[in-house]
Amino acid sequence: MKHLLQAGIFLCLPAVFSSSDLALLAGKEQPTKISTSSIQVVMIQSDETPVPAEFKVALYENLVRQLEKRGFQHVYREGDRNASSAADLIVLHSTVSSFKPGSEKAREVTTVAGATSISIHCQFTNSEGRPLLEQDVTGKVRFFGGNLRATYDFAKKASRIAYENFSPTNGK
Amino acid sequence: MTVRTTKTLIAIALFVAAITPAAASAQQASKAAKAVQLIGLPGVKENAKGTLSVESGYLRFVHGNATCDVSTSSIQDVVSGDDSQKSVGKTVGAISMAAPYGGGRFLSLFRKKIDTLTVEYRDADGALHGAIFTMAVGTAEVIKKELIAQGAHTTARAEQGANAQSSSSNARDKEQKQ
Repeated sequence: MKHLLQAGIFLCLPAVFSSSDLALLAGKEQPTKISTSSIQVVMIQSDETPVPAEFKVALYENLVRQLEKRGFQHVYREGDRNASSAADLIVLHSTVSSFKPGSEKAREVTTVAGATSISIHCQFTNSEGRPLLEQDVTGKVRFFGGNLRATYDFAKKASRIAYENFSPTNGK
Repeated sequence: MTVRTTKTLIAIALFVAAITPAAASAQQASKAAKAVQLIGLPGVKENAKGTLSVESGYLRFVHGNATCDVSTSSIQDVVSGDDSQKSVGKTVGAISMAAPYGGGRFLSLFRKKIDTLTVEYRDADGALHGAIFTMAVGTAEVIKKELIAQGAHTTARAEQGANAQSSSSNARDKEQKQ
Protein backbone atom coordinates (compact mmCIF):
# COMPACT_ATOMS: atom_id res chain seq x y z
CA MET A 1 0.00 0.00 0.00
CA LYS A 2 2.85 2.35 0.95
CA HIS A 3 4.72 1.51 -2.27
CA LEU A 4 1.59 2.10 -4.30
CA LEU A 5 1.19 5.60 -2.80
CA GLN A 6 4.83 6.46 -3.50
CA ALA A 7 4.49 5.26 -7.09
CA GLY A 8 1.35 7.39 -7.49
CA ILE A 9 3.13 10.52 -6.25
CA PHE A 10 6.11 9.76 -8.48
CA LEU A 11 3.85 9.47 -11.52
CA CYS A 12 1.95 12.67 -10.71
CA LEU A 13 5.06 14.86 -10.32
CA PRO A 14 5.90 15.28 -14.05
CA ALA A 15 2.32 16.25 -14.81
CA VAL A 16 2.39 18.92 -12.05
CA PHE A 17 5.71 20.36 -13.26
CA SER A 18 4.71 20.38 -16.90
CA SER A 19 1.52 22.30 -16.11
CA SER A 20 3.46 24.83 -13.98
CA ASP A 21 6.00 25.27 -16.78
CA LEU A 22 3.17 26.01 -19.18
CA ALA A 23 1.76 28.59 -16.79
CA LEU A 24 5.17 30.26 -16.50
CA LEU A 25 5.53 30.35 -20.25
CA ALA A 26 2.10 31.90 -20.56
CA GLY A 27 3.11 34.58 -18.02
CA LYS A 28 6.34 35.35 -19.81
CA GLU A 29 4.70 35.76 -23.16
CA GLN A 30 5.65 39.17 -24.45
CA PRO A 31 4.31 41.27 -27.31
CA THR A 32 6.47 41.64 -30.37
CA LYS A 33 9.21 44.16 -29.77
CA ILE A 34 9.18 47.37 -31.79
CA SER A 35 12.60 48.69 -32.70
CA THR A 36 13.11 52.34 -33.39
CA SER A 37 15.97 54.77 -33.29
CA SER A 38 13.76 57.88 -32.95
CA ILE A 39 11.89 58.91 -29.84
CA GLN A 40 10.17 62.16 -28.99
CA VAL A 41 9.70 63.41 -25.45
CA VAL A 42 6.64 65.50 -24.68
CA MET A 43 6.74 67.98 -21.79
CA ILE A 44 5.58 66.47 -18.50
CA GLN A 45 1.90 67.12 -17.80
CA SER A 46 0.83 67.94 -14.26
CA ASP A 47 -2.70 69.28 -14.60
CA GLU A 48 -4.22 67.28 -11.74
CA THR A 49 -1.19 67.13 -9.45
CA PRO A 50 0.53 70.49 -8.98
CA VAL A 51 4.30 70.21 -9.31
CA PRO A 52 6.84 73.08 -9.03
CA ALA A 53 8.08 74.39 -12.38
CA GLU A 54 11.67 73.38 -11.65
CA PHE A 55 10.58 69.76 -11.11
CA LYS A 56 8.73 69.68 -14.44
CA VAL A 57 11.68 71.08 -16.34
CA ALA A 58 14.18 68.85 -14.52
CA LEU A 59 12.07 65.77 -15.32
CA TYR A 60 11.91 66.72 -18.98
CA GLU A 61 15.58 67.61 -19.37
CA ASN A 62 16.81 64.56 -17.45
CA LEU A 63 14.55 62.32 -19.53
CA VAL A 64 15.98 63.72 -22.78
CA ARG A 65 19.56 63.29 -21.53
CA GLN A 66 19.06 59.75 -20.26
CA LEU A 67 17.41 58.66 -23.52
CA GLU A 68 20.34 60.10 -25.45
CA LYS A 69 22.71 58.17 -23.19
CA ARG A 70 20.77 54.95 -23.83
CA GLY A 71 21.76 55.07 -27.48
CA PHE A 72 18.67 56.31 -29.30
CA GLN A 73 19.97 57.96 -32.47
CA HIS A 74 17.42 60.75 -32.46
CA VAL A 75 15.82 62.09 -29.31
CA TYR A 76 13.41 64.81 -30.32
CA ARG A 77 12.00 67.37 -27.95
CA GLU A 78 8.41 68.60 -27.89
CA GLY A 79 7.61 70.77 -30.89
CA ASP A 80 10.72 69.82 -32.87
CA ARG A 81 9.87 70.22 -36.57
CA ASN A 82 12.43 67.56 -37.57
CA ALA A 83 10.43 64.88 -35.75
CA SER A 84 7.73 64.88 -38.45
CA SER A 85 10.13 63.38 -40.97
CA ALA A 86 11.41 60.64 -38.63
CA ALA A 87 10.49 57.06 -39.51
CA ASP A 88 8.99 54.79 -36.81
CA LEU A 89 8.83 57.63 -34.32
CA ILE A 90 7.76 56.76 -30.79
CA VAL A 91 6.33 59.49 -28.59
CA LEU A 92 6.68 59.43 -24.81
CA HIS A 93 3.87 61.15 -22.89
CA SER A 94 4.34 61.57 -19.14
CA THR A 95 1.69 62.61 -16.64
CA VAL A 96 2.38 63.20 -12.95
CA SER A 97 0.06 61.06 -10.82
CA SER A 98 1.44 61.81 -7.37
CA PHE A 99 4.09 64.06 -5.88
CA LYS A 100 5.58 64.20 -2.40
CA PRO A 101 8.05 67.10 -2.10
CA GLY A 102 9.98 65.74 0.90
CA SER A 103 12.78 67.65 2.60
CA GLU A 104 16.54 67.39 2.15
CA LYS A 105 17.07 68.79 5.63
CA ALA A 106 14.81 66.16 7.21
CA ARG A 107 16.58 63.41 5.26
CA GLU A 108 20.02 64.48 6.40
CA VAL A 109 19.07 64.99 10.01
CA THR A 110 16.89 61.92 10.54
CA THR A 111 17.93 59.58 7.66
CA VAL A 112 14.51 57.91 7.61
CA ALA A 113 12.16 60.86 7.09
CA GLY A 114 11.76 63.43 4.34
CA ALA A 115 11.91 61.24 1.24
CA THR A 116 10.98 62.92 -2.03
CA SER A 117 8.84 60.86 -4.35
CA ILE A 118 7.22 61.50 -7.72
CA SER A 119 5.04 58.98 -9.58
CA ILE A 120 4.54 59.44 -13.27
CA HIS A 121 2.36 57.58 -15.73
CA CYS A 122 4.40 57.01 -18.89
CA GLN A 123 2.66 56.24 -22.16
CA PHE A 124 4.56 55.33 -25.29
CA THR A 125 2.60 55.88 -28.49
CA ASN A 126 3.39 55.79 -32.18
CA SER A 127 3.28 58.97 -34.27
CA GLU A 128 -0.46 58.52 -34.88
CA GLY A 129 -1.16 58.37 -31.16
CA ARG A 130 -1.83 54.64 -30.86
CA PRO A 131 -0.67 53.43 -27.41
CA LEU A 132 2.17 50.90 -27.51
CA LEU A 133 3.14 50.64 -23.85
CA GLU A 134 1.94 52.15 -20.58
CA GLN A 135 3.72 51.99 -17.27
CA ASP A 136 3.92 53.85 -13.96
CA VAL A 137 7.40 54.97 -12.96
CA THR A 138 8.41 56.37 -9.57
CA GLY A 139 11.40 58.59 -8.96
CA LYS A 140 12.67 58.73 -5.38
CA VAL A 141 15.40 60.22 -3.26
CA ARG A 142 15.59 58.56 0.15
CA PHE A 143 18.88 59.42 1.80
CA PHE A 144 21.32 61.75 0.08
CA GLY A 145 20.94 64.53 -2.43
CA GLY A 146 18.61 67.40 -3.19
CA ASN A 147 14.92 67.01 -3.93
CA LEU A 148 15.50 67.39 -7.67
CA ARG A 149 17.51 64.17 -7.64
CA ALA A 150 14.18 62.33 -7.73
CA THR A 151 13.77 63.58 -11.30
CA TYR A 152 17.09 61.99 -12.24
CA ASP A 153 15.98 58.69 -10.67
CA PHE A 154 12.73 58.80 -12.66
CA ALA A 155 14.57 59.59 -15.90
CA LYS A 156 16.94 56.67 -15.46
CA LYS A 157 14.07 54.24 -14.86
CA ALA A 158 11.92 55.54 -17.72
CA SER A 159 14.83 55.49 -20.15
CA ARG A 160 15.57 51.89 -19.16
CA ILE A 161 11.97 50.94 -19.98
CA ALA A 162 12.28 52.67 -23.36
CA TYR A 163 15.58 50.94 -24.02
CA GLU A 164 14.29 47.48 -23.09
CA ASN A 165 11.17 47.79 -25.20
CA PHE A 166 12.09 49.91 -28.19
CA SER A 167 15.82 50.31 -28.64
CA PRO A 168 17.29 48.60 -31.73
CA THR A 169 20.62 48.13 -29.97
CA ASN A 170 19.03 46.09 -27.17
CA GLY A 171 19.65 42.47 -28.10
CA LYS A 172 16.52 41.05 -26.37
CA MET B 1 24.29 137.82 -10.91
CA THR B 2 24.10 136.25 -14.36
CA VAL B 3 27.77 135.21 -14.16
CA ARG B 4 27.13 133.47 -10.84
CA THR B 5 24.07 131.70 -12.27
CA THR B 6 26.04 130.59 -15.31
CA LYS B 7 28.83 129.27 -13.10
CA THR B 8 26.32 127.38 -10.99
CA LEU B 9 24.68 125.89 -14.06
CA ILE B 10 28.05 124.80 -15.47
CA ALA B 11 28.97 123.23 -12.15
CA ILE B 12 25.67 121.33 -12.04
CA ALA B 13 26.12 120.19 -15.65
CA LEU B 14 29.65 118.96 -14.92
CA PHE B 15 28.46 117.17 -11.80
CA VAL B 16 25.63 115.44 -13.70
CA ALA B 17 28.03 114.51 -16.53
CA ALA B 18 30.47 113.02 -14.03
CA ILE B 19 27.77 111.03 -12.26
CA THR B 20 25.91 109.64 -15.30
CA PRO B 21 28.48 107.01 -16.50
CA ALA B 22 28.96 105.75 -12.96
CA ALA B 23 25.20 105.40 -12.52
CA ALA B 24 24.88 103.64 -15.87
CA SER B 25 27.65 101.17 -15.05
CA ALA B 26 26.14 100.57 -11.63
CA GLN B 27 22.80 99.81 -13.33
CA GLN B 28 24.48 97.39 -15.74
CA ALA B 29 26.30 95.69 -12.90
CA SER B 30 23.07 95.27 -10.99
CA LYS B 31 21.60 93.34 -13.94
CA ALA B 32 24.26 90.62 -13.78
CA ALA B 33 23.85 88.12 -10.97
CA LYS B 34 25.95 85.20 -9.85
CA ALA B 35 24.04 82.01 -10.61
CA VAL B 36 24.38 78.24 -10.86
CA GLN B 37 22.94 76.55 -13.91
CA LEU B 38 21.53 73.27 -12.62
CA ILE B 39 20.43 71.81 -15.95
CA GLY B 40 19.16 72.74 -19.37
CA LEU B 41 21.46 75.06 -21.30
CA PRO B 42 23.02 73.40 -24.34
CA GLY B 43 26.80 73.14 -24.11
CA VAL B 44 26.91 74.04 -20.43
CA LYS B 45 27.69 71.42 -17.81
CA GLU B 46 25.29 70.69 -14.98
CA ASN B 47 25.86 72.73 -11.81
CA ALA B 48 28.01 75.23 -13.70
CA LYS B 49 28.68 78.47 -11.86
CA GLY B 50 28.54 81.71 -13.81
CA THR B 51 26.90 85.06 -14.30
CA LEU B 52 23.32 85.53 -15.43
CA SER B 53 22.16 88.76 -17.02
CA VAL B 54 19.53 90.17 -19.33
CA GLU B 55 21.10 92.24 -22.09
CA SER B 56 19.57 93.65 -25.29
CA GLY B 57 16.86 91.04 -25.66
CA TYR B 58 18.89 88.04 -24.53
CA LEU B 59 19.20 86.02 -21.35
CA ARG B 60 22.97 85.59 -21.10
CA PHE B 61 24.76 83.01 -18.97
CA VAL B 62 28.54 83.41 -18.86
CA HIS B 63 30.49 80.43 -17.55
CA GLY B 64 34.26 80.86 -17.79
CA ASN B 65 35.00 81.72 -21.40
CA ALA B 66 31.77 80.18 -22.69
CA THR B 67 28.65 82.27 -23.21
CA CYS B 68 25.15 80.96 -23.75
CA ASP B 69 22.43 83.27 -25.04
CA VAL B 70 18.69 82.68 -25.10
CA SER B 71 16.49 85.15 -26.92
CA THR B 72 13.85 86.61 -24.62
CA SER B 73 11.26 86.42 -27.40
CA SER B 74 11.74 82.62 -27.50
CA ILE B 75 11.02 82.26 -23.78
CA GLN B 76 7.50 80.97 -23.35
CA ASP B 77 7.53 80.63 -19.57
CA VAL B 78 9.62 82.05 -16.77
CA VAL B 79 8.95 81.14 -13.13
CA SER B 80 10.79 82.19 -10.00
CA GLY B 81 10.73 80.16 -6.81
CA ASP B 82 12.62 79.60 -3.58
CA ASP B 83 14.57 76.74 -2.12
CA SER B 84 17.33 76.13 0.40
CA GLN B 85 20.75 74.55 0.32
CA LYS B 86 23.39 73.46 2.80
CA SER B 87 25.51 76.24 4.24
CA VAL B 88 28.48 73.92 4.59
CA GLY B 89 30.00 72.97 1.24
CA LYS B 90 29.71 69.69 -0.57
CA THR B 91 33.07 68.08 0.25
CA VAL B 92 33.22 69.31 3.83
CA GLY B 93 29.56 68.42 4.25
CA ALA B 94 30.15 64.87 2.99
CA ILE B 95 33.22 64.38 5.20
CA SER B 96 31.38 65.79 8.20
CA MET B 97 28.81 62.97 7.92
CA ALA B 98 31.51 60.71 9.36
CA ALA B 99 31.94 62.96 12.40
CA PRO B 100 31.12 61.26 15.72
CA TYR B 101 28.04 61.93 17.83
CA GLY B 102 26.01 63.21 14.88
CA GLY B 103 28.23 66.20 14.22
CA GLY B 104 27.55 66.02 10.50
CA ARG B 105 23.83 65.90 11.04
CA PHE B 106 24.09 68.95 13.25
CA LEU B 107 25.80 70.83 10.40
CA SER B 108 22.92 69.85 8.10
CA LEU B 109 20.63 72.01 10.22
CA PHE B 110 22.36 75.13 8.91
CA ARG B 111 20.92 76.00 5.54
CA LYS B 112 20.74 79.15 3.45
CA LYS B 113 17.82 80.26 1.34
CA ILE B 114 18.23 80.57 -2.41
CA ASP B 115 16.09 81.65 -5.34
CA THR B 116 15.34 79.47 -8.34
CA LEU B 117 14.62 80.67 -11.84
CA THR B 118 13.04 78.27 -14.29
CA VAL B 119 12.91 79.16 -17.96
CA GLU B 120 11.17 77.32 -20.81
CA TYR B 121 12.16 78.34 -24.32
CA ARG B 122 12.09 77.11 -27.91
CA ASP B 123 15.06 76.82 -30.25
CA ALA B 124 15.17 77.58 -33.99
CA ASP B 125 13.51 74.22 -34.82
CA GLY B 126 10.69 74.86 -32.38
CA ALA B 127 11.99 72.28 -29.90
CA LEU B 128 11.14 72.94 -26.27
CA HIS B 129 14.02 73.38 -23.82
CA GLY B 130 14.06 74.13 -20.12
CA ALA B 131 16.75 75.60 -17.90
CA ILE B 132 16.98 75.92 -14.12
CA PHE B 133 19.17 78.41 -12.28
CA THR B 134 19.76 79.01 -8.59
CA MET B 135 20.95 82.35 -7.25
CA ALA B 136 21.00 84.57 -4.20
CA VAL B 137 17.73 85.50 -2.53
CA GLY B 138 15.91 88.40 -4.22
CA THR B 139 17.69 88.24 -7.57
CA ALA B 140 15.43 85.79 -9.41
CA GLU B 141 12.43 88.10 -9.26
CA VAL B 142 14.50 91.00 -10.65
CA ILE B 143 15.74 88.92 -13.59
CA LYS B 144 12.24 87.59 -14.19
CA LYS B 145 10.85 91.13 -14.38
CA GLU B 146 13.62 92.16 -16.78
CA LEU B 147 12.91 89.16 -18.97
CA ILE B 148 9.20 89.95 -19.10
CA ALA B 149 9.96 93.60 -19.86
CA GLN B 150 12.10 92.49 -22.80
CA GLY B 151 9.49 90.19 -24.34
CA ALA B 152 9.51 86.92 -22.39
CA HIS B 153 6.18 85.26 -21.60
CA THR B 154 5.04 83.82 -18.29
CA THR B 155 2.13 81.69 -17.19
CA ALA B 156 2.61 82.51 -13.51
CA ARG B 157 0.83 85.83 -13.86
CA ALA B 158 -2.17 84.21 -15.56
CA GLU B 159 -2.29 81.54 -12.86
CA GLN B 160 -2.12 84.17 -10.16
CA GLY B 161 -4.92 86.03 -11.89
CA ALA B 162 -7.01 82.87 -12.13
CA ASN B 163 -6.35 82.09 -8.47
CA ALA B 164 -7.29 85.62 -7.49
CA GLN B 165 -10.47 85.38 -9.57
CA SER B 166 -11.43 82.03 -8.08
CA SER B 167 -10.73 83.25 -4.52
CA SER B 168 -12.73 86.42 -5.11
CA SER B 169 -15.62 84.42 -6.60
CA ASN B 170 -15.49 82.07 -3.57
CA ALA B 171 -15.61 85.06 -1.26
CA ARG B 172 -18.58 86.42 -3.22
CA ASP B 173 -20.36 83.05 -2.95
CA LYS B 174 -19.80 83.04 0.80
CA GLU B 175 -21.14 86.55 1.10
CA GLN B 176 -24.21 85.62 -0.90
CA LYS B 177 -24.83 82.57 1.30
CA GLN B 178 -24.65 84.74 4.40
